[in-house]
Amino acid sequence: MLLDYDRLGWLKVALLTFTALVAAFLLLPVIFIVLLSFGSSRWLAFPPPGWTLKWYQELFADPSWIEAALTSARIAALTALLAVAVGLLASFALVRGEFRGREILRGLLLTPMVLPVVVFAIAIYAFFLRLGLGGTTVGFVIAHTVLALPFAIIPIATALEGFDKSIEDAAIVCGASPLQAKLRITLPSIRIGIFSAAIFSFLASWDEVVVAIFMASPTLQTLPVKIWGSLRSDLTPVIAAASSLLVALTLALMVVTALLRRKLQT
Amino acid sequence: MRLPAGVGGLLPALTLIGLFFVVPVLALLLRSVTDPAPGLQNYAALLGDGTYARVFFNTFLVAFVVTIVTVLVAFPVAWMLAIMPPALASILFGIIILSMWTNLLTRTYAWMVLLQRTGVINRALIATGITDQPLPLINNLTGVTIGMVYIMLPFMILPLVGTLRAIDPMTLRAAALCGASPLAAFRRILLPLSLPGIAAGGLMVFVMSLGYFVTPALLGGTSNMMLAEMIAQMIQSLLNWGLGSAAAFILLVVTMALYALQLRLVGSKRAAGGA
Repeated sequence: MLLDYDRLGWLKVALLTFTALVAAFLLLPVIFIVLLSFGSSRWLAFPPPGWTLKWYQELFADPSWIEAALTSARIAALTALLAVAVGLLASFALVRGEFRGREILRGLLLTPMVLPVVVFAIAIYAFFLRLGLGGTTVGFVIAHTVLALPFAIIPIATALEGFDKSIEDAAIVCGASPLQAKLRITLPSIRIGIFSAAIFSFLASWDEVVVAIFMASPTLQTLPVKIWGSLRSDLTPVIAAASSLLVALTLALMVVTALLRRKLQT
Repeated sequence: MRLPAGVGGLLPALTLIGLFFVVPVLALLLRSVTDPAPGLQNYAALLGDGTYARVFFNTFLVAFVVTIVTVLVAFPVAWMLAIMPPALASILFGIIILSMWTNLLTRTYAWMVLLQRTGVINRALIATGITDQPLPLINNLTGVTIGMVYIMLPFMILPLVGTLRAIDPMTLRAAALCGASPLAAFRRILLPLSLPGIAAGGLMVFVMSLGYFVTPALLGGTSNMMLAEMIAQMIQSLLNWGLGSAAAFILLVVTMALYALQLRLVGSKRAAGGA
C-alpha cells in the first residue's frame, strides 16, 4: 500500500504537499537571484522598488568580469578535453582489462572525488609553488583535470559496460582492424557516456572554487574566484547579474543535454 | 617485461593521478611531521589546544546536524519520486538537477541575501507575526545548516530513489492484507528495507559535510568555524604549513575511514556514484 501511489489516501496529500515545499525550497534561491538581478535596489531589498538593467550594464562595462569568465571557459574546455581523453583510455582498461588489482586502481582513480577538496587544494598549491605552475593556465588545467577525472570515467565506464562487445568483435570478423572497429562501432555506441563525461568535466572545472582560490594570481583568476572575492567584500547586485547569467548557462546546458540525449537515443 | 593485456590505457590516468595527486598529498603529509622541525609537535599542538578542539567539535556537530536534517527532508521526497506518475516525477527531477547544476557560489550567495537580518525571510516572518524582531539566521549554525542541507539534498534524494524503487510493493501489500496498519507497515517493512540506502546516503552527506569549505565560510560565523576553513586560513593567511598540513591529514584520515566504511556498506561501484 505504502508504495502504491493511487492507494495512499490522505498520506498522499501530506507527502505531496511536503514534496512540493521541498521543490519550492530547491527553486527559491535560483529564482530569487534572477529577480534580484533586475531589481533597482543597491541594498538588495526585496521586492525591489523598481526594475532595471543597470547591474548588467555595470557587469559588461567591467572588463575584469568578462576576462574572468573567458578564463573560466578556456580552462573548463581544456579540462573537459583532457579529462575525456584520459578517462576514455582508462575506462577501456578498467572495463575490458584482465589484470589483478583492477578494483584498487579504479578506486585510486576515483579518490579525488571523495577526498576533501581543501586537502587537495593546499597539496597541489604547495607542489605548484615549487614547480612554478601556480597561477598558470597549465596549472589550473592539470589540477582541474585531476578533480574532473572521476566525473569523466564514471559515465564512460558505465556506457562501456552496457555495450555488447560482440558487436565490436563482429566488425573485426568482417575485416575491420581493432582500432577501426573501436572508432567506428564502439565510440559512436557509447557517445551518450562520452557526452555526459564532457559536460560533467566542464562543469567540475567551471564551478570549482577551492583549488582556484589558492591557485589564482592577480593576473589569472577564474569566474568563481572573482565572485568569491566580491562576496567577501560587498554583496553588490552585480554578483546577482553575473549569477543570473550562470543560471541561464546551466539551463541552456540542461536543455542541450536533454535534446541531444533524446536525439542520440533514437 | 610485458604489461598485462589492456592495462596500457590506464597509463595516462595513473601518471596524472600519481604525479599531481598522490605525490602532492604525500608531500603534504611529510610536511606535517617535518615543518618546522621533525616530530609530532604539530599534532600535539592541534589535539592539545582548546581553540582547535572547538573547531573539530564544531565540524562534527555541523556535519551531524546537516546529515540528520538532510535525511529527514530527503526521505519523503525520494519516496514520492519513486512512486509518482512519470510526468510528475520528471518535473521534480528537473528541479533537483537544476538546483544541483546551478553554480555553488550562486546558490550560497542567494542564501546570504535571503537570510540577512533585513532579508526576505526575516521580513516575511515579521510580516506574518511569527516573530517581532529579525531572527539571527546567518553567521551561525542555523545559516550553515540551511545552506548545507540545500546543497546536500540532491545527493541524498537521488540514491534513495533507487533504493526505494528496488523494494517490491508486494511486500507492503502483503503486510496490509495481513492486517498491518500503515504505520506498522512503514515502521516494520518500508523503513528497514530502505535503511541501507539511508545509511549509505547519510554517510556520504556526512563525509562531504566534514570537508566542506565554501558554504560554511560564507554562511557561518567566526565562532563556529569548520575544519576546512581553518586549514585554508592556516595556509593562506598564517603561512603555518606544519599546522595546516597536520590538520589536513587528520581530515583526510577521518574522511577515508568513513569512506571505507561506506564501501563496505554498499560496494565500491555504488559508493562512487556508479549506480
